[in-house]
Amino acid sequence: MNALKNYDDFNHIGTGAFGTVYKARDKKNEGRFVALKKVRVAITDDGVPLSVLREISLLKQLETFHHRNIVQLYDICHGKRGENDLVIFLVLEHVDQDLGSFLEKCPAPGLDPDLIRSIIHQMLTGIDFLHSNRIVHRDLKPQNVLITDKHVIKLADFGLARIYEYQMALTPVVVTLWYRAPEVLLQSAYASAVDLWSCGCIMAELFTRKPLFPGGSENAQLGKILEVIGAPARESWPEDVAMSWEHFSLYGKGEDLSKLIPEADAAALNLIGNLVEFDPTKRVTAEAALAHAYFENYVPDNDS
Amino acid sequence: MTQPEIRFKMPNWYYDKKALRKTPSFLDGISNSKEMRYRREGVRLIVKVGAKLGLKYETTASGTVYFHRFYMFHSFKQFPRFITSCCCLLLAGKVEETPKKCKQIIATAQEFLTDRQFQQFGDDPREEVMTLERILLKTIKFDLQVQHPYQFILKYAKGILGDRDKIGKMVQMAWTFINDSFQTTLCLQWEPEIIAIAAIYLASKLGQFEISDWQGRTPSQRRWWEAFASEVSNDLLEDICHQILDLYQTTHPEQPQDSPAEEEVSPGTPKRHRPASPPPQPKLKLEKKEEIHAIAQDKKLQAPPMPPMVSTINSVAPPLPKEPPQFFAPPPSEPPLIPSHQGFQSMPPLPPIPPQPNAIPNQPGIAAAQYPHPPPPLHPGLNTQGPPVHARPVGSNSSVSSAYPPHGYFMQVPPPQDFTASSHQFYQSGTGVHHMGTSPHQVRQMPQPAGGPIRDHYRTSSQSHHPYMRGQSAYMMPPQRR
Repeated sequence: MNALKNYDDFNHIGTGAFGTVYKARDKKNEGRFVALKKVRVAITDDGVPLSVLREISLLKQLETFHHRNIVQLYDICHGKRGENDLVIFLVLEHVDQDLGSFLEKCPAPGLDPDLIRSIIHQMLTGIDFLHSNRIVHRDLKPQNVLITDKHVIKLADFGLARIYEYQMALTPVVVTLWYRAPEVLLQSAYASAVDLWSCGCIMAELFTRKPLFPGGSENAQLGKILEVIGAPARESWPEDVAMSWEHFSLYGKGEDLSKLIPEADAAALNLIGNLVEFDPTKRVTAEAALAHAYFENYVPDNDS
Repeated sequence: MTQPEIRFKMPNWYYDKKALRKTPSFLDGISNSKEMRYRREGVRLIVKVGAKLGLKYETTASGTVYFHRFYMFHSFKQFPRFITSCCCLLLAGKVEETPKKCKQIIATAQEFLTDRQFQQFGDDPREEVMTLERILLKTIKFDLQVQHPYQFILKYAKGILGDRDKIGKMVQMAWTFINDSFQTTLCLQWEPEIIAIAAIYLASKLGQFEISDWQGRTPSQRRWWEAFASEVSNDLLEDICHQILDLYQTTHPEQPQDSPAEEEVSPGTPKRHRPASPPPQPKLKLEKKEEIHAIAQDKKLQAPPMPPMVSTINSVAPPLPKEPPQFFAPPPSEPPLIPSHQGFQSMPPLPPIPPQPNAIPNQPGIAAAQYPHPPPPLHPGLNTQGPPVHARPVGSNSSVSSAYPPHGYFMQVPPPQDFTASSHQFYQSGTGVHHMGTSPHQVRQMPQPAGGPIRDHYRTSSQSHHPYMRGQSAYMMPPQRR
């Protein structure tokens, strides 16, 4: 039962901040490929920490919905137990390609606008599903938005932040900041709206094939953002942050999105603008975004 | 490469009666009746320790469900039950975000166990429990979010129309049946929705409150629960009720007593110590709150020695009323409902009556308006929301909410706003139900022999139609437990 022996043909496919990922064959299920994420979790005096237990059980429960735009968690295997930690393997649906590599491979002049619409619609559908289940992804980026051969979008690595906390402390891997919402960068309280911000950044990138806010450090990241969207209104500035609004009030009105993203039409630009809204309380929700004019004549393709 | 046609088979936590007889313990040489006793004892320890530590009832209830599930994969011979009890409670405490220290749980358990029983824990009790935690997690596959019938009782009761006072009393009685049901393997047989319906059904019968009207009633609905679940037959409900009632049976095949799972107590062994499950021997020393219940207990009542989970509720609910819980008079016009059922003069104690029925503390900020997709008060349209399956609640996904708290993870569902006075106590206990998008339940086929369902196992056709007017024989347990 739930042993790694059900899997073979292990292939190392990457090491991220969250641990090592392998591709393997699932012997029990007609040899389908799975992705195995090896994660170390801390063991405390009282066993497996509460946060980890809650997260994993939540993911397990989410799994029962079989949502099309969410990577499936097939199983959880136990590895060795160390002195202070326990190795677990998350057995996940394997998808060959992520949006990052998909974009890299995409030849000029870029993606078809209809495909972009479909991708964003699917992403928003997945985000809406997570949010309705009280899960905030917190780290959406092209690298964990997977895309199948049939252009089905699957969100990965959601809800794992707390499971990965311990592992991340162990791994000196730089995490990209480009898709981080300002409230995260400012270390303010944040909620589900952070995912919509990331979605806006990714949407812009789908048109231009380059990141919207390529910042180098946390400060520079915030600077990049404000250069584009302009200085935030006084009342939008969160109260619970150390940095004062005055520091950032010097940024101007921001740039014109239509010049930055010339490939996008008016409706798309409007949606991007609503997604990369500084004030999380004014940012569009996933549900509302799905009702945006950009999707007016879009018919979701549900067969694949 | 995706292969959506292959669906990962989730562990199915529901078993038919045959599987419940052929458990690992049974295959390991433990009789079914003995296993049931071990299960009851293990559950009672969870309940007692949970109550003593002031854990909320969901935590205790989750612990008991883990316990029952665990022993569908392992034998009581291999894993002594009291260690498992402690481990289940430890895990449930963490999952329900009411954590207790491992040491504290063990120390509390020790208070309720004899020295000899405590020997199960070995030289390093903490290490025993810690080691077991891994095995437990592995066994129950991290399926730690468990729903319990309580929340469904409240939900269904909300939709039932009639004298609110009577409905409140009925809810209390149903609540108690749920408390006690954790000593049975019902949570391994049926979804919490179904058990909740059965508990209300039973309470309605026993409390002389006939449910004749409900919100959103349609002409095609003959029975109130059809508004909530499809294909739940009277026979199915009766089977569940009987399993609960069996707990109050005096003619239990085995005397509740404690003996280690590993060995038989030889008849000559002197009993040095107080048994963990007392009756019919001297009562446990009860806390004051519990005394009221204890007084209400009939001496003849054997299986549930004390109201198992009521005490858990006490820990969070408002203080008990001074007067003893009320019981329901036997029906005047009909033959007594439980005429020949010895154990039943004493109803299980009811949860306390709330002193201030309208207050809903502990839920200040959560307004119903925050819930864009609340379940409609009584779900007339629910049947369209999910494929109907056998005796399986439908539309259970409907209550996922898309309101989330700032930090985004878990929240409690607000109490239904308009539920009447008498049942508000359950909210007062601060027990918003964890309500993560309800998982679709595993589809399971009811055992349905051609002639009719389950009841056929233990009922002959000559018996009266009314389930609770049957003679003693009607209360016989299903054959496997004889």
